[in-house]
Amino acid sequence: MKGEVVALIGENGSGKSTIIESLCGITPLKKGVVHWTTESNIYKVIRDSEGRRNPPPPMGLTLQDSGMCGEETVSERLHTALSVSGLDANEEVIAKLLYDWNLNHRSKSRISQLSGGLKRRLAVLCGLAPVALSDSDRIAILDEPSEGLDLNSKRLLMDWIKTLSSLNNTILISTHDQDIINCANRIIEINNGSISEENGKNMGNKCKIPDFLPRKNQDATFTLIKWAFRMELRNPIDTIGKATPAIVALLLAYTLVGKLELNSDNYDLLAALILAPSFITCIVSPALVSRLIEDGSGKWWNSMVGPMSRPANSISGSSLLLPIPLAYLSCFMLMDISSLELSSEVADNVFLWLWLPSLVMLDLAVAATGIHLLVSDLTRANAAASPLLLVTLAWPFLELTDALSTIMANGMSFELEFQNPLITCLIASLSSAMIWIAAIYIPES
Amino acid sequence: MADTTHIGKILTKCGLFFIFLTAFLGLFWAPTVTGSWKSPEAYRILYWHVPIAWITIISYTFLFVGALSWYSKRKEWGWNLVVVGSELSLIFGLGAIISGTIWGSAEWGVPWDWTDLRLNTFGLLTATSLFLVLARESQPDGMDTRDTLSSIGLFGFALVPITLIATTWYKNRHPGIIIIESEESGLSSEILSLMMMGAVSFIILFIGLSIVSYSTIKLESELQNKQMKFD
Repeated sequence: MKGEVVALIGENGSGKSTIIESLCGITPLKKGVVHWTTESNIYKVIRDSEGRRNPPPPMGLTLQDSGMCGEETVSERLHTALSVSGLDANEEVIAKLLYDWNLNHRSKSRISQLSGGLKRRLAVLCGLAPVALSDSDRIAILDEPSEGLDLNSKRLLMDWIKTLSSLNNTILISTHDQDIINCANRIIEINNGSISEENGKNMGNKCKIPDFLPRKNQDATFTLIKWAFRMELRNPIDTIGKATPAIVALLLAYTLVGKLELNSDNYDLLAALILAPSFITCIVSPALVSRLIEDGSGKWWNSMVGPMSRPANSISGSSLLLPIPLAYLSCFMLMDISSLELSSEVADNVFLWLWLPSLVMLDLAVAATGIHLLVSDLTRANAAASPLLLVTLAWPFLELTDALSTIMANGMSFELEFQNPLITCLIASLSSAMIWIAAIYIPES
Repeated sequence: MADTTHIGKILTKCGLFFIFLTAFLGLFWAPTVTGSWKSPEAYRILYWHVPIAWITIISYTFLFVGALSWYSKRKEWGWNLVVVGSELSLIFGLGAIISGTIWGSAEWGVPWDWTDLRLNTFGLLTATSLFLVLARESQPDGMDTRDTLSSIGLFGFALVPITLIATTWYKNRHPGIIIIESEESGLSSEILSLMMMGAVSFIILFIGLSIVSYSTIKLESELQNKQMKFD
């Protein structure tokens, strides 16, 4: 009911966090359906056991893990939480909120530099602010919000809960903390799989919270993509992590090609060596996957963005910048020293059309990221051997190798026959697209 | 439970005895093949390879049915079938691939052929099985893990038609491979009988291992439930 504060209590392992995550659409349901009423009073299915899924209406969410990536700064994080829920936050409001929660001195610090308590304080603020600053009634879902908070922060949390509920917002809290339980109007207890309910004390004091913010029409998926690129610009471990093995492969190929006796019968080998660095860069696990695994950050985004988070991540996390320049660099280096003695006409042809198989390599990169994301759903994703599932990308790579060696042997042709590079590249692209669809669609359906 | 496990153990032992008997007869009793074989003596490995490949397909079927059942209905037996299927398909899949590459090296001159659908499908599904076995060992058992692993199991099977398409298209550009057909390759009745004996032996072994594995999983599950009660 609107304006209610509901406390969800129960022993460790009773399923409180599972309920919270199911309500947000993160956890698949064994049976039943989760539906929310939107701001315009329409029932919306968030997730059901039949595989239907939609993003929840704008809300505030604090997960048991902080749900924040260590790369973000404190003010950025708060801005992202407001932005993803459709609020247009300005610097002044962000500064005011951080001041109220005694985080202003840390506004430019990265989250990874915060202590556990400060991190929790920020996570709670990011769960409450999108509700507090909205002019319509919203829901805040808080999983163990007081865990690790000091006494003053806990008091502030209790006051905000009281104030937000008095403004007709609904708060659902999973907790073991008796002080927080005392804030609730209704207490739901889970005990050995059964649920009991009782009235709460509804304690707490109202406090002053900042004024409402104007709304903005920004898609949550777009916010996620922007966030992913911003994190990479801040710390380009993805680019470095992908470029380094590719450059090592290129240098090894450079060493080998000089010693191999290549002739026109084995253009395949030269084509494979030219494309190998790009292929390696495509299949390396993206840094985005590690960022999403960190402190449940991926879960938070998954809840906020809904079913579109996986396809968006598979595109923004994949290596889109490196394959084409790497293929040209590789071609430039290897063709120069190879013993093929290619005619200038063939070499020109290769340089002119190398972009085509390299472009298809981008499809392959997106498919590889889809597979990495599929594996990242596991609790201990770092302990899973994802390269075993990447084996299947060998076929698109072989097709591309074939296309390039055909260009070397016969030049480019636009006739629609299986032997022609254009069709071969198209087949490689389609194979990659099908692998991507399988990796993205199956876990979501 | 104890009786079923006992039966499983007996069947496993019988299966092991008969597969080694098949190997012995294959090596020392079966005649050499005639016809257009490049390496006629190497064919003896097929007494194990062919039945192992059949059994692997049955194991993949277990894995697929189990993954589908858990994925769609969250049936406990479905998950047990995923576990049994992934373990057995890994063992037999590796057997099929190793014996196949040995024979391929002798007969075709290459251990692996990217244009061979059966080889590639086996490689792909065995890699998926290995992933599932390793992941099950390394992950905490829970609904989330089971959901993800069963979806990865189904992902592996979704790749089979993709493999078919990719291999077929790729094959159009390369020479074909030798396919064993009994009449053309001149297999005698002794060879076929021994092949059938191998198949029956491996089926007995497979049933035995399935029963033992299924019982073990159920016991693990009971143990876990008791541990959770103590928690």
